[in-house]
Amino acid sequence: MDANVEYGRALARAAGGALLFSFPLLMTMEMWSLGVTVDRWRLLLFLLLTLPMLVGLSYFAGFEPTFRLKDEVLDALAAFGLGFLLSAALLGVFGVLHGESLGSQGAWGKVSLCAAPAAVGALLAGKQLGERGLGSREKAQAGPLGELFLMAVGAAFLAFNVAPTEEMILIAYQMGPLHTLLLVAASIALLHLFVYRLGFPGEAKRREAGNFMRTFVGFTAPGYGVALLMSLYLLWTFGRTDGVAVHEIATMTVVLGFPAALGAATARLVV
Amino acid sequence: MAKPRSPSRRAAAAPKSKPANDIPALEWASAAVGLALAATAIGLTTWDAVFGVDGPPAIEVRLKSVSATPHGYVVEVEAFNHGGSPAAQVQIEGVLASEAEPETANATIDYIPEQSGASGGLIFERDPRAHALKLRAKGFADAF
Repeated sequence: MDANVEYGRALARAAGGALLFSFPLLMTMEMWSLGVTVDRWRLLLFLLLTLPMLVGLSYFAGFEPTFRLKDEVLDALAAFGLGFLLSAALLGVFGVLHGESLGSQGAWGKVSLCAAPAAVGALLAGKQLGERGLGSREKAQAGPLGELFLMAVGAAFLAFNVAPTEEMILIAYQMGPLHTLLLVAASIALLHLFVYRLGFPGEAKRREAGNFMRTFVGFTAPGYGVALLMSLYLLWTFGRTDGVAVHEIATMTVVLGFPAALGAATARLVV
Repeated sequence: MAKPRSPSRRAAAAPKSKPANDIPALEWASAAVGLALAATAIGLTTWDAVFGVDGPPAIEVRLKSVSATPHGYVVEVEAFNHGGSPAAQVQIEGVLASEAEPETANATIDYIPEQSGASGGLIFERDPRAHALKLRAKGFADAF
């Protein structure tokens, strides 16, 4: 019984985190229309990719201090479920689901698109709002691939907050080639500084792989690469790349790559 | 808050080294809810992706009601998209035939998902119930 109470408490904490991390998206108009208009195959791929991502994230930052695959899967599913319920409840209160029947595509599309970031929030909150001991032990164990995975999740998570908005497209239209190059340079510089120079709390164990060049090539460059890939994937998922000229897609990717790079850089602080 | 929790947390975490049966019932239950919801969402999306209707938006504009207000006759209409893709910025037009000049009213509806309806209103100066009213969608933009 005590374990149930304990788990219930962790679950409540996770719900709080899901709320905290996902309300900006739930209150973003584009998320509602995208839930309806997103290509169904892309939405399906997105949902299918979310599950393993949650399992991986649960390993690094789960809301229960676990180590075994079964527990990670259970935690990931619970977080996903929490995301669904929370999104449905809030979208319902906001009147977004008004006029949608329970089983309709529109309702499920809107809710499931919002459920993914909420689930990530739920998993992160387990650690952010809870104790830190076990989480930091996991951190130290993340190898180069785990590191890249965390960067990808951080990038996707932060980029997701702005990816659905019209502004991404608008900014891309407003920027010329020079602006774009400047933004690339700024993104890379910030990524490098955030990760290896500024010494945020919780990154004490971050290794400087020898000299500047090795750190840059070994960590910062892959980090930015992952951030750009995540940006492109999100833009594609939301249908922003359809019928758009390649150079315009590149600019959009760079624009979204800016928050993505910040997300990749701070992934270790949050996760 | 954190102080009293940490010993109990450690107590709960300690038996984790024992296999399987120490997972609380609530954990199974919440995971089951999550699995059910995820499976439903994935199932519905797959079903829609595979069997969903294809084709452009096909928008029918239906008359719902006419009310006389001090500021004109409000005709409430529902635009239903029978087609296979969503439509954005749908322009609805109503033309009221009459003895003199026909009267036209317009409205724009932001989004109509496929197989779904959205409603709006048209406002006329003359009573639409006394004349022939033609309703139709005039155009739309692709949803993205």
